[in-house]
Amino acid sequence: MTVDRLHPSHAASESPTHKRMRRLFLQAGLAVAIPALPVQAAQGRRQLTVATFPLLDEILKAALPAWRRIHPNVDIQIVSRQYGDHHTAMTTALSTAVRLPDVMALESSYVGRFAQGGGLDDLAKEPYRIDRFRSRLVPYAYDQAINRRGAVVAMPADIGPGTLLYRSDLYAKAGLTEADFTASWDAFVEAGIKLKATTGAYLVSNAQTVKDIVIRTGLRPGEGLYFDQESRVLVNSSRFVRAFELARKVRRNKLDARVGAWSNEWAEGFRRGTLASDLSGAWMAGQMANWVAPATKGLWRAAHLPERTFVGYGGSYYAIPRRATPENKALAWELIQLLTLDRAQQFAAFKSQDAFPALLETFDDPFFADPLPFLGGQPARLLWRDAARKITATQVHKQTNFADEVIGTELDNVLDHGKDIGRALADAERLLLRRAHR
Amino acid sequence: MSQHVNDGRTSRWLAYAIVGVGALIMLAPFYFMFVFATHSRTEIFNLPPPMWFGDDLFVNLKILTERLPFWRNLGWSVYVALASTALTLLFCSMGGYAFALMDFRFKKALFALVMATMLLPSFMGMIPAFMIMDALGWIDEHRALYIPGAASAFGIFLMRQFASTAVPKELIEAARMDGCGEFAIYWRIVLPLLKPALGTLGLITFIGSWNNFMGPLIVMRSLENYTLPLALRSLQSPVNTEWGALMVGSAIATIPLLILFAVASRQLIAGLTAGAVK
Amino acid sequence: MRLPSFLRLSPRWAPYVFISPFLILFAIFGVFPLLFSLYLAFQSWEPTSGLQAMEYVGLGNFAFALEDEWFWKSLKNTAWLALASGVPQHLVAIPLAVFIHNSFKRLRDGVIGAYFLPYITSTVAIAIMFSSLFSKDFGLINAGLHSLFGVENVDWLGKAENIKPAVAFIVFWRYLGFNVVLYLAALQTIPKDLYEAADMDGAGRWQQFFHITLPSLKPMILFGVMLSVIGGLQLFEEPFILTGGKGGIDQSAMTSAMYLYRMAFDFNDFGGASAMSWLLFALVVLMTWLTNRAFRPRGGSV
Repeated sequence: MTVDRLHPSHAASESPTHKRMRRLFLQAGLAVAIPALPVQAAQGRRQLTVATFPLLDEILKAALPAWRRIHPNVDIQIVSRQYGDHHTAMTTALSTAVRLPDVMALESSYVGRFAQGGGLDDLAKEPYRIDRFRSRLVPYAYDQAINRRGAVVAMPADIGPGTLLYRSDLYAKAGLTEADFTASWDAFVEAGIKLKATTGAYLVSNAQTVKDIVIRTGLRPGEGLYFDQESRVLVNSSRFVRAFELARKVRRNKLDARVGAWSNEWAEGFRRGTLASDLSGAWMAGQMANWVAPATKGLWRAAHLPERTFVGYGGSYYAIPRRATPENKALAWELIQLLTLDRAQQFAAFKSQDAFPALLETFDDPFFADPLPFLGGQPARLLWRDAARKITATQVHKQTNFADEVIGTELDNVLDHGKDIGRALADAERLLLRRAHR
Repeated sequence: MSQHVNDGRTSRWLAYAIVGVGALIMLAPFYFMFVFATHSRTEIFNLPPPMWFGDDLFVNLKILTERLPFWRNLGWSVYVALASTALTLLFCSMGGYAFALMDFRFKKALFALVMATMLLPSFMGMIPAFMIMDALGWIDEHRALYIPGAASAFGIFLMRQFASTAVPKELIEAARMDGCGEFAIYWRIVLPLLKPALGTLGLITFIGSWNNFMGPLIVMRSLENYTLPLALRSLQSPVNTEWGALMVGSAIATIPLLILFAVASRQLIAGLTAGAVK
Repeated sequence: MRLPSFLRLSPRWAPYVFISPFLILFAIFGVFPLLFSLYLAFQSWEPTSGLQAMEYVGLGNFAFALEDEWFWKSLKNTAWLALASGVPQHLVAIPLAVFIHNSFKRLRDGVIGAYFLPYITSTVAIAIMFSSLFSKDFGLINAGLHSLFGVENVDWLGKAENIKPAVAFIVFWRYLGFNVVLYLAALQTIPKDLYEAADMDGAGRWQQFFHITLPSLKPMILFGVMLSVIGGLQLFEEPFILTGGKGGIDQSAMTSAMYLYRMAFDFNDFGGASAMSWLLFALVVLMTWLTNRAFRPRGGSV
């Protein structure tokens, strides 16, 4: 699984206290006036359709009572599909403009792809004018939804600030302090060698995950990951050479467990302490605590990614299809605002589903300073809040998905078959050149 | 037992053992599905995975029924599978009978067309099929799941193969001489003779419909109307899936097929003689 | 009721009435998608922009497809998987069916049931089950191989060269029982007196197998192999779920059908996908025709 594919995730169960708090917040939400577009007086019952995917659907369900108080006559129909299926179904719906939902949830990696076409309304235009809210949203999340023509195609709901989770006990055993292994990527790999020698634990699950982030470091503003604005291919560059070399160093020193994310071996590695760190989204801490490795509670800590790299791991958005029912658009926009601009709703989602808020005004809440028991009482949300502000958006090209895979494949060739890095990148470039303008 | 098997006992027993072990290998994944259905997802992800039944069955079932209108989904699966089986049997036996025993213009070309539809990669039709469903007003309607595939190429092919051997042409000629109508011939003479093949096709169609996922994916809109495969998949997310609940759902979903197979396995084998005799 | 009008149906029109359900359904649900995808094969289309975003590109998509490394790679994968899963299916199913036919009486249904079960199991369950069974350090398959043959742990799903055999095994596992059932059905139609006569002539078991059983099974072998060829070339579900929809390391289990799907829905290139699907269709037709010829030297329809 690549970085983009991950969706911020969410704890499944919910403690009674959370439920109570959420109710409180919902009630508080009523007091907050929601900036709304003029909606025609409802004549009889109306229905809004929201197409979404698991766990985001839970957030929406939890918001329904608040919605009903504002619009008792407007029912919300939730069409929830498996994550991949949802995006397939949305592609189909957009392509035919048939039965489009009024509100469409999108995972961040798909926002870039859907943004290239003209199927989604430009929220920067009247009557939406999303630019009014720009200062209230996490900057990278907002920028990520801007396409090449300058249209803002989606409203960010939650984000996934990248973080380094590590087993403090294992690193301590190897005599390593956080500064030792986060100073630079080279230091991180060097630390891995020491860690392996003293504890036998792997540094990361797979060398690919190192490459995934290192290619995202040192991007110039507006530059894409694999292509620039004019669809020129960027993979045959020092940025990629460095990422490949680091990944190779990881593999050569046997620092990666060579397991895929979400596999049994991967989960077991965390449980048994054979995997000492993970490069991932902040939401991973919740997953670990909840079911992946609950017994390792207290042993983990969070840090910024090495070299102070700030990247986003997933996130969710809401969009309005251009050819959705026109009469419903005002209501759809109002619902989106309730979900994204309402402090109480954003907090409810954060608390119940670990959905890190994209709304900046939630950031001053003392909740961020709460100690996290799984991370040994570390107030890690402060760290992630800091990261969230520093992430910058990257331009997404329509062939990004394909490029992801070509680069991953070439790295495998380097790691598994000793292919020369220069040749691997040249081969990747050749494949991408053929697609760049398709 | 046939007499022509009279080799040494050892090799016989060895053969029995191999077939027996093979059967166990076949059954193993099935067994684990039921075992996993009784464990929490943390346990499922243990390595080695659990080998024996745990005690989380009802917990999993509770999660399942909270997250899905599961029994309703099950009901729709049954309904769609039955409807699709009934229609397929009717249409394919009619078509197969015509292709096997009647002469008409363009017969060869039409049969080639039937075969060609069998060879087409199915999902290429997804987008146009969606447009058609909308034009017909069949979005979120179950008939969209059982009508389009009812005249399946495989079914017509199977029926044609079977009918050409099982239905004597003379019998039909004789019936015509007696003044029997064409539909009466089909209904009273041909259909009973096709019974074994109908059993086979029925079973295959039922299983296919039961496990169908691509069709409902595009057409169905509301969770209340989903059939099982789609409903169960909607529980999956890349990072957080209730595997235990999913396993309970999958296990329950196979039970009707198991019962059906137990009842109809003889029919299945009897009907597949089709191609063999030809 | 329609019955009375049917009763008066003239023999001349009867066949058309009987095939009309097929014709009508095909006209509605078959012809339009076919034409649509043919049209699409000559267009460049970014689907999320809607239908009006199509742009005529002539044979560009076909040229792209034929020069596309991944298209050829996926074809090779498909051929490999079709052979590696298809051939053993029949080589095992035939003797197995003969053995079950001859030597099982009371347990017969149970044994057949056991081999047929994988065919009816849902794919979702299969996916998680096998990723656990194929797991490198703790999977049961490696544990079994190790204790029986002393084989070192194999990284089934993490190494390009191992994914294909793993997928081939699952396909084999899933469809073996289906083929056994096919052959059992055919075996029942072989007249018993053939064997009795052979016994009289003193023919051994192997001779009987090669001179009576196998020739009698030939039509069913044709049918079964054809289904395997068609199914093999369209192989999609098993590799799709086992490799998380991507085809695994180095796309080594990415079949053509999977690649088409990915071209359309992962890479949003419907024009290219349509062109490839027509090329694949031509290939499937060719292969089916060749299979048919290979088994039927003396003409006759399908």
